[in-house]
Amino acid sequence: MLLRSLIAAVVFGGWCLTAGPGAAMAAEDPAAPAGEIDFEEGYEPNGEVVWDPIEPVNRGIFWFNDKLYFYALKPVARGYRAAVPEAGREAVQNVFTNLGAPVRIVNSALQGKVIGTLDELAIFLANSIFGLGGIFDLHKESRKPSPEDFGQTLGHYGIPPGPYLVLPFVGPRNLRDGVGMAADSLVEPLPSPYYLKVHQAEVIAAVTGEQINALSLDKDTYEAVVRESLDPYLTVRDAYMQNRAAKVAK
Amino acid sequence: MRRFMTAGITLLISLALALPAAAASTPKEDIRKTVDQVLTILRDPQIKGQARREKISPLIRARFDFTTMSQYTLGKNWKAATPQEQQEFIRLFSDLLEETYVGRVEAYSNETVKYGDEKIEADRAEVKTQVHSGNVDIPIDYRMVRKGDEWFVYDVLIEEVSLVKNFRSSYGEIIRKDGFAKLLERMTEKIKELRSGTGKPGTAG
Repeated sequence: MLLRSLIAAVVFGGWCLTAGPGAAMAAEDPAAPAGEIDFEEGYEPNGEVVWDPIEPVNRGIFWFNDKLYFYALKPVARGYRAAVPEAGREAVQNVFTNLGAPVRIVNSALQGKVIGTLDELAIFLANSIFGLGGIFDLHKESRKPSPEDFGQTLGHYGIPPGPYLVLPFVGPRNLRDGVGMAADSLVEPLPSPYYLKVHQAEVIAAVTGEQINALSLDKDTYEAVVRESLDPYLTVRDAYMQNRAAKVAK
Repeated sequence: MRRFMTAGITLLISLALALPAAAASTPKEDIRKTVDQVLTILRDPQIKGQARREKISPLIRARFDFTTMSQYTLGKNWKAATPQEQQEFIRLFSDLLEETYVGRVEAYSNETVKYGDEKIEADRAEVKTQVHSGNVDIPIDYRMVRKGDEWFVYDVLIEEVSLVKNFRSSYGEIIRKDGFAKLLERMTEKIKELRSGTGKPGTAG
C-alpha cells in the first residue's frame, strides 16, 4: 500500500517537474559567468510568473495558517516569551540548530561542497561535545549562513522547483522542496525512525516547540508582511521562490 | 627658474583637470553617506517621534531613484500605462515605500552596518552591506544606477530577495486580474491604512 502510493507520488512528481514553466526555466543557462552580476536578469518586462496551478487551494491553506498563527501559535509564543528569558530561548534554538546538523552535512556532501561539509561537521561535533549537546553554539560568530537541505540538493542537480504549494502548518513550499523535506526527515534525529526511539506525541511536541521558539525570537517579520502587503499571499509566494532560487544557486 | 615655472604651471593644470574626476563618487560612498546620516539621527536621543521621521525621510528619498524603480516594478505594464498613470504610480509607490520602510527604521535599536564589496559595471552597481542586529546578521544589498555624478538606489535585496521583483510579481498579478486603476486604488488604501495604523492582524484571508 505504501509502495503503491510512493510510486504514484513519484510519477505525479515527475510530471509536475517536467511540465509547466519550471522545466523551461531549468534549461536556461545563466547569462553571466559565476561571480559576475547580470544587472538585467530578473528585471525583464515579461518576467516569469510563479507556476501556481492550484492557487485557490493554496490561498485557502494560507488563510488557515494565518488564523493558526494569530489564534494559536502567537499567543503561546507570547506566553513563552514572557516566561523564558531570551538567553534560555536562544539555548533552545541552539539545540534545534545542532540537531539539524546531520541534514546540512549530508546535503552539503551530496552537492560536492567539501568545505561546507567539513565546516558543518566540525561545528556539529564541537557543539555536541563541548557545547553540552548543542546548548552552546560555540561557532555562532563564524557560522556560514547557508544551511543545505535536500531540496537544495535536488535543485543543485538541475531539478526545477515545480508547482508552488502552501502546506498546512509548514507554510510555503514548492514540490521539489516538499519532497526534499520528506527525504530530510529520514536523516533528522528528531522525527527519524532511525536515530532516537521517541513516541509520536513527543515528536509533535518537539517540532511544535521548535516553531514556537523560533516565533518568540522573530515575531515581527510575518506580521509586518501581512500588515504592509497589498496581497500577503503573493508577497510570501514570491519571497519564498526567490529565496529558494538564491539558496540553490549558492 | 623658467623650468620651475613650467613645471609649476603644468602641475596646476593637471590638478585642475583631475578635479572633476575626483568629484564623482563611488556607489559605496554614496550609500554610506546616506546610511551614516540616517544612523546619526537615529542615535541622537534629542530627536524623537515625528521630528525624527521628518528628518530621516528626505535623506532616504534623496538616495532613491523612484522612476527607475517604478519602471522595473511595473515591467511590461509600464509601457502600457499613460504618462499620467506612470506619474501617479511613481507618487503612490514612493509614498507606500516610505510608509512601509521608514516606519521600520523607527524601530532602530543600536543596529550597526558593515559595508562589503561593491561591483560596478558601466552605470550599474551593487553594494553589499550587513546589518548587525541583536544576534543576527542580515545581508542587505543595494542595486544602484548612476545619474550624473551620483549613484541612486533602484532595488534593495534583503537576504537575496529583491524588493522590486517581489513588488513586481504582486502588482503584476493584481493588474492582470483587476486592472491598473484597481492597483492604484489599493495602493492608496494601503497608504491610508499604514498612516493611521489601522492595519488589522489576521487579515491575510
